[in-house]
Amino acid sequence: MSAKLNSKKYKWALDFNISKNADMPSPLGYNPSALVNQSEVVRDQRLVIKKSWDLALGPLKNIPMNLFIMYMSGNSISIFPIMMVGMMLIRPIKAMFTTQVTSKMAEGAQGTGQRIVYFLGNMANVALALYKCHSMGLLPTHASDWLAFVQPQTRLEYYGGGISFV
Amino acid sequence: MQAKGMLAGLSALLLLSTCSALYEDQIKKFDWRGVNVGALRQSRVDLNHFQPRILLSTNEGVVASVCVKTGEIVWRQVLEQKPRGDIKLLQVSGFSDDSSDTAAAPIGSNMGFDMLTVQGHAPALVRGWNTNMGALEWEWSTMPLNTERALDGLWFYSRSVLYHVVPTWKSHLEVTAYFASSGHSTGSTSKVMASWITPENCLLSGTYYICVDGKQLISLDLVSKSGQAFRTALEAEPKSKLQPLAGLNGVLIADGKLISVNKDQAVCSGLQSSSYAVGTFNYRKILAYADVASGILKINAVYLDNCSPVAELEQGVPFPEHFGTPSLNSFDCKLKRNGEGKGCLFLFSTSAESILAVQGGRIRWSREEALANVIDTQFVDLPLADTEGTLENEMKGKAVDFTSFERDIVSAFLRRITTQAVQIRSLFLHVIGLGPPPTATQRAGLVRDSFGLHKMLVVLTRSGKIFGIDNISGKHHWQLYLPNVKGFDNAEQMRLIIQRSAKHFPLQPLCTILAQDAANGNGVLYRFNPITGQASEGGLLQLDYKVKQLSLLGETENDFVKGILLLDASNKVHVYPQHATSLADGLYLYTADVKTSELTGYFVKYAGGQLSSTHIWNVRLGGHNSEQQIIGVAGKNPIEHVHSQGRVLGDRSVLYKYINPNLVAFVTQAPDATHKSILNLYLVDVVSGSVIFTMTHRKVRAPLSIVHSENWLAYSYFNEKVRRTEITTIELYEGKSQANSSVWSSLQAPPMPLVERQSYIIPTIVEALRETITERGITNKHVLIGTSSGSIVEMPWHLLDPRRPIASTTQGREEGAIPYIPELPLPTESHINYNQTIARLRNIYTAPSGLESTCLVVATGLDLFVTRVAPSKTFDLLKEDFDYILISIVLVALTSGSLIVKHLASRKLLKQAWK
Repeated sequence: MSAKLNSKKYKWALDFNISKNADMPSPLGYNPSALVNQSEVVRDQRLVIKKSWDLALGPLKNIPMNLFIMYMSGNSISIFPIMMVGMMLIRPIKAMFTTQVTSKMAEGAQGTGQRIVYFLGNMANVALALYKCHSMGLLPTHASDWLAFVQPQTRLEYYGGGISFV
Repeated sequence: MQAKGMLAGLSALLLLSTCSALYEDQIKKFDWRGVNVGALRQSRVDLNHFQPRILLSTNEGVVASVCVKTGEIVWRQVLEQKPRGDIKLLQVSGFSDDSSDTAAAPIGSNMGFDMLTVQGHAPALVRGWNTNMGALEWEWSTMPLNTERALDGLWFYSRSVLYHVVPTWKSHLEVTAYFASSGHSTGSTSKVMASWITPENCLLSGTYYICVDGKQLISLDLVSKSGQAFRTALEAEPKSKLQPLAGLNGVLIADGKLISVNKDQAVCSGLQSSSYAVGTFNYRKILAYADVASGILKINAVYLDNCSPVAELEQGVPFPEHFGTPSLNSFDCKLKRNGEGKGCLFLFSTSAESILAVQGGRIRWSREEALANVIDTQFVDLPLADTEGTLENEMKGKAVDFTSFERDIVSAFLRRITTQAVQIRSLFLHVIGLGPPPTATQRAGLVRDSFGLHKMLVVLTRSGKIFGIDNISGKHHWQLYLPNVKGFDNAEQMRLIIQRSAKHFPLQPLCTILAQDAANGNGVLYRFNPITGQASEGGLLQLDYKVKQLSLLGETENDFVKGILLLDASNKVHVYPQHATSLADGLYLYTADVKTSELTGYFVKYAGGQLSSTHIWNVRLGGHNSEQQIIGVAGKNPIEHVHSQGRVLGDRSVLYKYINPNLVAFVTQAPDATHKSILNLYLVDVVSGSVIFTMTHRKVRAPLSIVHSENWLAYSYFNEKVRRTEITTIELYEGKSQANSSVWSSLQAPPMPLVERQSYIIPTIVEALRETITERGITNKHVLIGTSSGSIVEMPWHLLDPRRPIASTTQGREEGAIPYIPELPLPTESHINYNQTIARLRNIYTAPSGLESTCLVVATGLDLFVTRVAPSKTFDLLKEDFDYILISIVLVALTSGSLIVKHLASRKLLKQAWK
């Protein structure tokens, strides 16, 4: 990565410092695709599909772990449970927005299915986080949460008077 | 278990009780106290003492010494409440009505006492005072055999002997003599037969008991051995009540003339005046008299021995009208400066309850003792400064000219430009010193501040004197005196009403006083500007009917005046001003008859330009034998806003408050055969006349204080069974849902409320209760408890809360309620008047300020105490010790630091890039 950057910056400079980097440019005249045979391509395809299924099922696999964390953190409102709940809520949402990017790798026959599973898994995580928020009392689901917006009743009748002066 | 609960409760209490105490450097920063003594009764001016002084006794049962030069109180002793503290006699050593005694006694001679007072009748207390420091030196008392007759008892002092005269009307007088300083009786009680004595016609002048009988006076010398009555003929029957002349034995004033029944005491019979006093000048006894003629107070004097005028003492003093009618109480002259007569100080009491000192042709000082009897107060916003005023006009889109105002953008823009030009010009003129002179109110510093904390405190007093007092500095800006007015029957006082506030800028605020004419009992309205104290809209308006009740109407549209609706004795309805009449349509009125304990409801209808009242309901609270007497009525403050419509419970559901704006609490008391005394509380909806709730307390009696606000009520009473003062609190709730969340109508049969109630013990005697009030009602409500010891305790509502759980349940704890402990704590830091004791605390008034957090408070009694409280602390205001300099330095340093660092970082990056 840095080599690429460096090559961009110094177009004609040779970088001798990063000899340990595996991501080295290929030697001149070397074509990596020329050597790949068909069976390897098929195996790779399967590998890719397997890998993408792993990716798609990742959120679902996270659920037991999240449940355990939720159970451990308790319902008290303090900084750590709040942070955990926040992370649990934000991570799947973030992941869903980046679905497009991840599914680019899984452009195959099972791409749609993977996408749906990935989405559902993330949704399950969000639901879990919301349930946690609810049990911690952070969701405005009670009448008392909207009490400040209740308008006073307008009175229809007015009165005056008091102890008689005569 | 219980102890644990108690402990938890106490710790919760410690955590929750909001400490609203003052810091030491805040003392007298927001508050001030006016110290009064009350209307003058008897006084002694003593200029020849080594420490010139004025000693006085007042109608309020106060003995005090006042500085001769400034009128400030040197010391003050507030005696017991009336009737026990009613001062019958003030006797200063060396002064006596007995002429021989005065002449003989050297000044300051020790006759066993400096000054003595006689107070009360059963028992009568005789006290000797040290006049230099006001310390009580000795005391003795007598208990009369017949307490009712002793009520009319009189006391006089003659030659070290104190005489007690108890008349039995139409029969005889009982005279007992005591040695003044020891209280030993000099002998047996002597009975003087006098069948002619009546309470209206008799008086005591020195040692003489004088009664008027047609055209003659019948006198008795109570000191002489013979006890013979003798008659003095009068020229004409006296038209007014006779008055004794203090300082001359056996001399009285009848219709402004002096008459002597004492053969040894000649008087100058040619004089005619409203008030006389006796003193010495040039080592000769003189008689001074004073009268007001066309705004000038004229003081004259004559020598008693030959009736020749004392030219040196003749003087005329311009006399402001607001002091009322003066009456010369006493005077004294310096012995050393007897040549010119400037060394004489005349002390006047006036009908407006002022104390005036006149010396050397001018009023040297005055004390406004009317403030010892405040009956109503109002806070009035101050007017805007000129520049802000024009801006305000622009904001409202209304120019001074009401008839033509455009609202289109161009003209508004032009107006804005011109306003700003005017502002810049006035600022420039002000800087170079050519600006217009500030108005009188601006010069006096009467300009509204940005927080609305600076207000004009309008104070109405029982004597009919009205004051405009600065609530920050305590300065009296103006005074008004209404002679010939008094409070209403049934102990109902005069009313002070704000008809127009200062919010409608070009229009001046308007206040009105509703009183009763002292002569014929008809209603009187007096309209005035509360900022300047000038009469407005014609000032005094005599009504030709008796007022039964009043009500304030809504604002009119064109001049923003709130009309006053008056119900007269024949149930006719009148509205002032006339053009607000139509606003009275649909108003409900009620009256409570104290004598019969009957409530009556009326409906006011406007039809065809005429107002009429219809009697719609009656509620009888008298009980089955009509013994119940109404002793307390409490409605809610009409300017109150309720911000929160409910209460959040432990399970996060809402218990909605029962906020009935038409709810009024009535408390009745009746004697009872088995329970001694019974107190009943009724909550009545005064629009529909329905009784919402009633409660009975047995073995409980007045004194009662009551406060009613939002959905709660708190009242204090005396529990006879356990002999302590208790406070009962009540809260009303609608339930978990609101029947009608948009409108409240008492006529559509709203559901009955759920009632929560609880009683608390308060370890003091409660004199007054009042709730704090703020602009929008967001701030917590505290209850201000005025105690008989003269302190005001700020009690948070969560301590008085009737929902405080008795068993310490989680439900209550989650709701934020403290476990119930019957005793209410009175921590010293919640005494808002710290060591500024308010003598004879009678009432507390509260008003909102411009800040939501702050509530203005006035406590009245003998003293006047003005302060402000912040029940939820000043959440909308920076602390006064806020470090502006530090915060600005930090801000500037951080901003400039980040800029510099940014610059350095970019340079470093550039350098690195070139490497």
